[in-house]
Amino acid sequence: MPEIKDEAFEFLLARAGLSLTDEQKAELKSVYAGIAAMAERVRQPRGYMAEPAHIYDFAEEDLT
Amino acid sequence: MSGAIQTIAEAARVIAAKQLSPVELTRACLDRVHKLDGELHAFVYLSEERALAEARAAEAAIMADGPKGPLHGIPIGLKDIVDTKGIPTTCQSRFLQDNIPDTDAACAEKLAAAGTVLIGKTTTHEFADGGPSFDLPAPPARNPWNTEHFTAGSSSGTGAGVAAGLILGGIGTDTGGSIRGPAALCGIAGIKPTYGLVSRAGVAPAAFSLDHIGPMAWTAEDCALMLQALAGHDPRDPASASRPIPDYTSQLGSGIKGLKIGVIHHFHETDHKVSDGTQHGITGAIATFRDLGAEIREVQLSPLQDWLACGSLISITERAAAYEEWVRTRLGDFSERLGSRLMLGSFVTGVDYVQAVRRRRELRAELQAAMRGLDVVLTATQPMEAAKIDAVPKWDLFAAPNFTMPFNVSGYPAISVCAGFGAGGLPVAIQLVGKPFQEPTVLRVADAFEKATPFRNRRPALATA
Repeated sequence: MPEIKDEAFEFLLARAGLSLTDEQKAELKSVYAGIAAMAERVRQPRGYMAEPAHIYDFAEEDLT
Repeated sequence: MSGAIQTIAEAARVIAAKQLSPVELTRACLDRVHKLDGELHAFVYLSEERALAEARAAEAAIMADGPKGPLHGIPIGLKDIVDTKGIPTTCQSRFLQDNIPDTDAACAEKLAAAGTVLIGKTTTHEFADGGPSFDLPAPPARNPWNTEHFTAGSSSGTGAGVAAGLILGGIGTDTGGSIRGPAALCGIAGIKPTYGLVSRAGVAPAAFSLDHIGPMAWTAEDCALMLQALAGHDPRDPASASRPIPDYTSQLGSGIKGLKIGVIHHFHETDHKVSDGTQHGITGAIATFRDLGAEIREVQLSPLQDWLACGSLISITERAAAYEEWVRTRLGDFSERLGSRLMLGSFVTGVDYVQAVRRRRELRAELQAAMRGLDVVLTATQPMEAAKIDAVPKWDLFAAPNFTMPFNVSGYPAISVCAGFGAGGLPVAIQLVGKPFQEPTVLRVADAFEKATPFRNRRPALATA
């Protein structure tokens, strides 16, 4: 997994509303590849019809 | 009688026979707390006066009318993310040091209604993070089998407290293994029930769709007794299942002849090879089950790493969402370990999260298909005996996949029971997994195993000295 580029990392920080020290940034950058690898691993050739797990139906009590 | 460490089942029998008073039993537990907890750190808060008052009330009620059930007068602990009316619930966080809830969590309410005696709030890591963390308001719990070693997290204090006999049972919570991990490393039993069976109301979230509440005790039978009091529909929990509640002890002692047990060999032999001690425990357990008349089969699932990726992405993101306000405004007030994970969770994109939830549906369908024709499946609970507490890496999330997350992802019930002792005399464990709401079968198999093996006869030396 390639290291995340500085611009992308700064975008993620800003998007998350985080203001970090240089030390915190360095640590997060060093472990980011781990979470990126997990994000790749959950992607399967499943097609666009595959449903997520949290689709729900209405119970009887919702209808009254 | 009161000085000896007992199980809930044994204590219930002698209490019902009026040979043991809940006051004597509570005092014995409190004596052990005073003697040992300076070293174990199983409790963050001791409710001693309340416990004695509850024990006296239980004694009076039992003398007058007999016990209302097997938990009447039984000393327990509640993990410190469980709301307790009038008693601090700090979640081991600087954010909640002054938090005294004005209501009980559903599980606390149910155990109180069953007549339990609350000894205190047990140690966890901040908001049920796996830990260990050393920068929290209170120190992490230590393993009673060797206090230089970790208990696993995050229901650490309940695990240590039960193993050392400070309490007879307690509540744990489990988002990726936080009941079963401490149960395994502390050599006790702990069951993560089916998702929705035990209400989450009033328990601080770790990850909403993976969080489970369940009992931890010395034996599977004791877990069954506690689960009987805990299970049931609760409209305050949107995930709460509305189903009839069976008798969780009804199948205990009926043997397991003819039951079909699947073994997920590749989880613990290939995907994450376990220690020799753990492998020995698993091999011995399979032989025991065969001797008891069960049929053993092989089960193949997606690699453990797939389950971990799915569960971890969901977990880390849901947790970051739950605590986002504090992450944005008071990040420095979190422990270093949890703060770092929350930051990382903030980086997961919406698309990543949905892909993980799509993967979750596939993995659950896979387990459902694999368990067709089987009663339970078996794998490891932990990869090895407890590590030294100062040797657990901060980013263990990426170090190796764990064996418990698959059953948080699937929501299937899973119990950890002691399967012997490995390196350094530390406990090793097996994990038994059932179909949704089939806890009676899971408990039946676990109970049969415990009764066919000698591992329940040994307590930590520290507790029996």
